[in-house]
Amino acid sequence: MFTVIKTGLETSVQDFPGRIGFRDQGFPPSGPMDSWSFRLANRLVGNEVGCAALECQYIGPTLAFEQDAVIAITGANMTPKIDGLAIPMWTSIFIKAGQELSLIFAKVGVRSYIAIAGGINSQPWLGSQSTFHKAGVGGIEGRALQKGQHIDWRSVELNNTLINRAVKSEALPDINNDKAISINVVYGPNEGWLDEAGKAKFLTEPWKLSSKSDRTGFRLEGPTLTFTDKAHNKSPEHGSEPSNIIDQGYPVGGINLAGETPIILVNDGPSMGGFINPFTVPGCEFWKLAQAKPGSQLYFKEITVQQAQRLGREQTEACNDDKITNQ
Amino acid sequence: MIYDKPRFTPGGDRYILIEFGSEMNLTLNFMGQALAKLLEENNQAGIIESAPCFASMLIHYDPDVIGYDNAVIYLTELISELGPSDDIVLDSRLFYIPAVYLDPWTKEAIDDYRLKINNDKVHDPDYVTQLNGLENVEQLARVHSGTEYWVASLGFWPGLPFMMPLDPRCKLTAPKYNPPRTWTPKGAIGMGGASTAIYPEVLPGGYQIFGRTPVPIWDTSKRFDVFENSICLFQPGDRVKFVPCDMDAFEYYEQQVKDGSYVYNLIEYQKFSVKNHNDWVSNLDVNRRF
Amino acid sequence: MENIPLQTSGNIWKILVKVGDKVEEGQVLFIMEVMKMEVDHEASCSGVIQAIHINEGDEGLDADMIAITIEPA
Repeated sequence: MFTVIKTGLETSVQDFPGRIGFRDQGFPPSGPMDSWSFRLANRLVGNEVGCAALECQYIGPTLAFEQDAVIAITGANMTPKIDGLAIPMWTSIFIKAGQELSLIFAKVGVRSYIAIAGGINSQPWLGSQSTFHKAGVGGIEGRALQKGQHIDWRSVELNNTLINRAVKSEALPDINNDKAISINVVYGPNEGWLDEAGKAKFLTEPWKLSSKSDRTGFRLEGPTLTFTDKAHNKSPEHGSEPSNIIDQGYPVGGINLAGETPIILVNDGPSMGGFINPFTVPGCEFWKLAQAKPGSQLYFKEITVQQAQRLGREQTEACNDDKITNQ
Repeated sequence: MIYDKPRFTPGGDRYILIEFGSEMNLTLNFMGQALAKLLEENNQAGIIESAPCFASMLIHYDPDVIGYDNAVIYLTELISELGPSDDIVLDSRLFYIPAVYLDPWTKEAIDDYRLKINNDKVHDPDYVTQLNGLENVEQLARVHSGTEYWVASLGFWPGLPFMMPLDPRCKLTAPKYNPPRTWTPKGAIGMGGASTAIYPEVLPGGYQIFGRTPVPIWDTSKRFDVFENSICLFQPGDRVKFVPCDMDAFEYYEQQVKDGSYVYNLIEYQKFSVKNHNDWVSNLDVNRRF
Repeated sequence: MENIPLQTSGNIWKILVKVGDKVEEGQVLFIMEVMKMEVDHEASCSGVIQAIHINEGDEGLDADMIAITIEPA
């Protein structure tokens, strides 16, 4: 068990792939936004990739461990320390009963993951331990971590083979502070709504990531888009704006033209609505979104579905057990 | 417009949008729901779930099991198995939901919007009444509550139903707020475009609101047995009939909800026949309002 | 001299003090906004505001930047 001494900005329990199979009731998948770092954290401590672990955003938590554990910290660098002494990331570490783990602000990247050998033990909700914080679903009492909470993990045998494990360098995501970030996107599902000029602008000009971005959506500021005849001349039941459409299902990762500014629908985003998604960010690119600081300039690059699916498979392979070494 | 052949487009690496047409047409939703039923029965490896909407459907698949092209081939085959939409028969539960129309809580939310966001906003009941050529707000309540509503889909928020009137004599239309409200009372009943929705929580929203129900439509603590299998009350294919009640009845139900004694009025044995519905509709004089 | 750094990357939403103000330890000096959440920044000691290096509306600042300097009492 650990006790939450400081919560961090918004720290929550997530599992992978999240809450799947309830989109027709309006539930988003939730789950970790950077599932690459998340899965590797679990591998490092000997867990299955999907085990429940913590996602930390912008400012990390301080946790007092009441029992021995093996942990690993991946993703953004939040200067993790045990009892005030710096510890390395991307490796499995033994923490003793009575010691305190502290993370502060993210120096590089934005989201960190803390995995514990055995996986966090919390009540699953509709098949998943992932937290949908805004709706009060899943996780611990349906919300991000609160001060004073006591959180358990499933006990597993701790032995020397479980510590000092590391990730092979070719399997690591490149998390850095570059201000310009290239994001691969797939055209669709709403094809034929942006005209040629609009499509070109979308794919060549930078989009600034607004700080009003969170797990429900990433707001973007960028060029004014232009639309085809299909968008301007449609039956009134679609709505009056060119980006309005009859309410439709939204894919996770859809770049939604709601109102003035586009919003990328991320892990806790709405499952349907009345605006078009001309492009969609595939799952394999979400780690880049998760680690992008507000103010970053995003450049979208079009790839095919098949290319996106291949990148996804490569990322899954990067999170296989054979990418973990004992140092 | 209803498309001759449904159109398939990818949503990133793991979603497919199937568009049956480009209009709000009950038939298109019936097709989506019938397809959803077939998908569940067939349980094809790699197809994870489906979510029907008004004129379209979203499919979630696992690209490690089935690729985009093969998924489209499979879905096309299944759709051809559906047959004509007239033949569709679906199990359909019916809920009687008590509601106070022209209630004080939606009025308060509208007053707040007028004060803080847009002073020119005409009060929603009056606005919808005028737009639809009704006599007065009392007729709005009669017409809106006079039909069963078909739950076409759930979304935007967990458990939030988007519904269409099954009786064309009760068809109403209303544009959405621009900009949207920052809050809506929990249980508010509203309309946007041609669809009716119930707000499960205090949420921002753009629908014109003019009624409120005291009964929860989602329950994370599962205090009532209707929520045994799901925390959301509704599923696509349900029907909802709003039963107008007065403030005394509202408070009575509210108390029953509080103490856990409220019994949902749910009728759970009926089947919905698209053909019967279409035949009935074709014999109605749609210009005769309640 | 006591430095008050930014606790996170993000925007400056509200600055509640000006140069020359007397402040108490724990008093909220300014509020950052990130991920639609407010992050209060408090005085780490009592004293007088010596310098303010941020402006309301500043966007995309980095964590750890020195925001305010206090002359301790």
